[in-house]
Amino acid sequence: MTPDVQAGAGPVESGAIHDIGYRHYDGERRGRAAVRRAMFVESARGAYGLGRAGRTKVMPALLLAAMCLPALVGAAIAALTGADELPIAYGGYVLNLQVLVSVYLAAQAPVSVSRDLRFGVMSLYFSRPMERIDYVLAKYAALATAVLVLMALPLTILLAGALLAKMPLGEQLPDYLRAMGAAVLLALVLAGIGLVIAAVTPRRGLGVAAIIAVLLVLSGVQGAAQVIATEQGTRDAAGWTGLLSPYTLVDGVAHRFLGQDSVLGAGPPGTAGALVFAAVTALLVAGCLGLLVLRYRRVSIS
Amino acid sequence: MSPVDATVARLTAGSLLGRRRALLLLALPAVLLVLAGVARALSGQDAELSAFLLSSFALGTVVPLLGLLAGTGAIGPEIDDGSIVYLLSKPLSRSVMVVTKLLVAVAVVLVLGALPTLVAGLLLAGTSDGLAVGFAVGAAAAGTGYCALFLLLAVVTRNAVVVGLMYALIWESLVGQLVPGAQALSIRQWALVLTERIVGGRAEALGADSAVGSIGLVLLVAVVVGATWYAGRRLRTLRLTSDA
Amino acid sequence: MSTLVLDAVSRWFGNVVAVNDVTMTIGPGVTGLLGPNGAGKSTLIHMMAGFLPPSSGTVTLDGDVLWRNEQVYRRIGLVPEREAMYDAMTGWQFVLANARLHRLTDPEAAARRAVDTVQMAQAESRDVGTYSKGMKQRIKMATALVHDPPVLLLDEPFNGMDPRQRLQLMDLLREMGQQGRTVLFSSHILEEVEQIATDVQVVVSGRHAASGDFRQIRQLMTERPHQYTVRSDDDRALAAAVMADGSVTGVELVATTAVGSRQGGRALHVEATDRASFVRLLPQVAQRHGIRLFEVTPADESLESVFSYLVAR
Repeated sequence: MTPDVQAGAGPVESGAIHDIGYRHYDGERRGRAAVRRAMFVESARGAYGLGRAGRTKVMPALLLAAMCLPALVGAAIAALTGADELPIAYGGYVLNLQVLVSVYLAAQAPVSVSRDLRFGVMSLYFSRPMERIDYVLAKYAALATAVLVLMALPLTILLAGALLAKMPLGEQLPDYLRAMGAAVLLALVLAGIGLVIAAVTPRRGLGVAAIIAVLLVLSGVQGAAQVIATEQGTRDAAGWTGLLSPYTLVDGVAHRFLGQDSVLGAGPPGTAGALVFAAVTALLVAGCLGLLVLRYRRVSIS
Repeated sequence: MSPVDATVARLTAGSLLGRRRALLLLALPAVLLVLAGVARALSGQDAELSAFLLSSFALGTVVPLLGLLAGTGAIGPEIDDGSIVYLLSKPLSRSVMVVTKLLVAVAVVLVLGALPTLVAGLLLAGTSDGLAVGFAVGAAAAGTGYCALFLLLAVVTRNAVVVGLMYALIWESLVGQLVPGAQALSIRQWALVLTERIVGGRAEALGADSAVGSIGLVLLVAVVVGATWYAGRRLRTLRLTSDA
Repeated sequence: MSTLVLDAVSRWFGNVVAVNDVTMTIGPGVTGLLGPNGAGKSTLIHMMAGFLPPSSGTVTLDGDVLWRNEQVYRRIGLVPEREAMYDAMTGWQFVLANARLHRLTDPEAAARRAVDTVQMAQAESRDVGTYSKGMKQRIKMATALVHDPPVLLLDEPFNGMDPRQRLQLMDLLREMGQQGRTVLFSSHILEEVEQIATDVQVVVSGRHAASGDFRQIRQLMTERPHQYTVRSDDDRALAAAVMADGSVTGVELVATTAVGSRQGGRALHVEATDRASFVRLLPQVAQRHGIRLFEVTPADESLESVFSYLVAR
């Protein structure tokens, strides 16, 4: 009831709006860059369950621990025995544990984008200053960062172990940096693949299965193709099979452009091979970004 | 009282073969067959290569993925969006529901997993060494085991797919390689017992052997029966939650 | 005769008590389960539908426990709250599938009857995924009716319905109640319950706050004074006269707005603690002072006032 109306004045004929202290916001409004940054931080933290419910931390924590375990063991051994060389090399570390990275990606990419689509909150996001490209870039960067952390942490643990074992920094650093460079590339490629698949499979569980299926099948096909090519005796062909799986693709690029030892035997053959591998990597990242922008362009606000 | 209900089967098949899931389900055997075709074209009929491909790709990748997709997909989406209430509010035994859904999932894995394995095996190795039949039977056995296990997981937790992945990939392949003891608890190794029997003498040489003995078969049957029974029990006390 | 009996039923989830010592009997006719959001209505309906066991107490249908008892579903039809159904089927196929799941002897005939009852025959060959919210609700009703159950449980059935669909559903429920079925529906919207429920069960914060006809409930709430709006030809004199009596605790002269066909003007609000004696008092007083009474209306005998009173307690 309106307390301001004069009592006993007969039928009320007009309405009135009352000042109950509502204040218009006149302060600073940060631009799109701040929006992007906020989305990025929130998504990157969410990939490890930070800022969300406790049970969302379990899977990432388990996977991170599993990824770091061999590094911890290796670092401990090096530190305790005072060896000259690390028992585990930086170079092949991630590739040998690619299953863990794949599972992490399969689990967290849907957490990042599928849930927004499934619960229909995209219209809320896009009726704010956030543009579709902002959303895509922020999510991409966040997932890439999260995957990178998964790979960078064990590598850094190895380095720490080496330093504790009094191995000279100058010897360790080049290999470490090469491995980190490869990790950055791999994170970019994997994040792209994961997000594209997750963005088209909003149903719970399907995105996870689809991402892992794609990664496993690609790995399997690459492995089989490599075996076949090696049996055929054509080393070049075996090198070309590296294009089939993102892990071998990045490994090939790292081998030719960063000088890292290739774990998978044959690297990309010749200059042509190196260029093709690099081009495919770049195209893959750009292509995934493009597909994501296309996909989100179809999300309507209403 | 029939252990299977035709309507439940029809409903399960309908939701299991929904568009995107069906696409994924069909892609897996397609890749296997293409790979087998290419290998055959390039290398001819090579027993060792065949065994490698069938063991690592067909049995090691395609079958567990199919089992995961079919096993969780047979009941997971219905529990997730709440449409399982239409099954639960009927005078229908929960065990009949679980068994029917399991049969549908197993049928999918047999048609899209074991059969293409047979075809790939015949393509790659012909009828020599019984490789094709051996791995096809192994795929069928492993597929049944995976379906039963993942169906149970889907009843027990809403994150069945991720947990199932952790088992199939991390436990069976990664840990299994590092800790030989872990292989004693691997559906894949149990299924390989059948493959080893069928391939016969050359099994070990070709890499079609199993890390466990005949006990593996007993364990496989026990897991299938036990998982199905327990899933029926859990379904009886399933909590229907509101949205999300 | 199908009666749902809840006997000292409580349900807790860890530290949260959702339902607290509720005893109620739901018999034939339409019963409305009324309560604010979070009062425990859904928990109660889940328990009555056999999907949740009571932490203590018993929930029975004609003496049979509902928990883990699949055969009891022959007698219960449930219209769940959640929207999801098997979207890829047509409405007809979905109802038919439900009929088959009930192992009915003639599922097609039963499905035909059910679809006709909810008036969905025209849209029955369209996929369920293309239905509007009201149509989905009607198909849900059809699946609940297909086996002709004596008990119908509906969880928030009017949610999201437009007025016309609401009227249709109310008619249907009223008819079901008149056929002697036990119909229970939950709602937090008072008008819905007021219009079709012959019996109201009010649940607030997990406790069973009141049951019965809401007018009777109002009369039972004696601590709260009754309010009456009186129009007469001399309000002020009447006010002074009734104020002299002990059953009246307050009078107020107010200006009222025109509502519908009633004209605006002045009226008298009277607050009385003793309804019975005030009702006898008023005409005597008016006659003694020669005042003509035009209108005497109980101002707060609506379900809303009953409800707000119970919620605020």
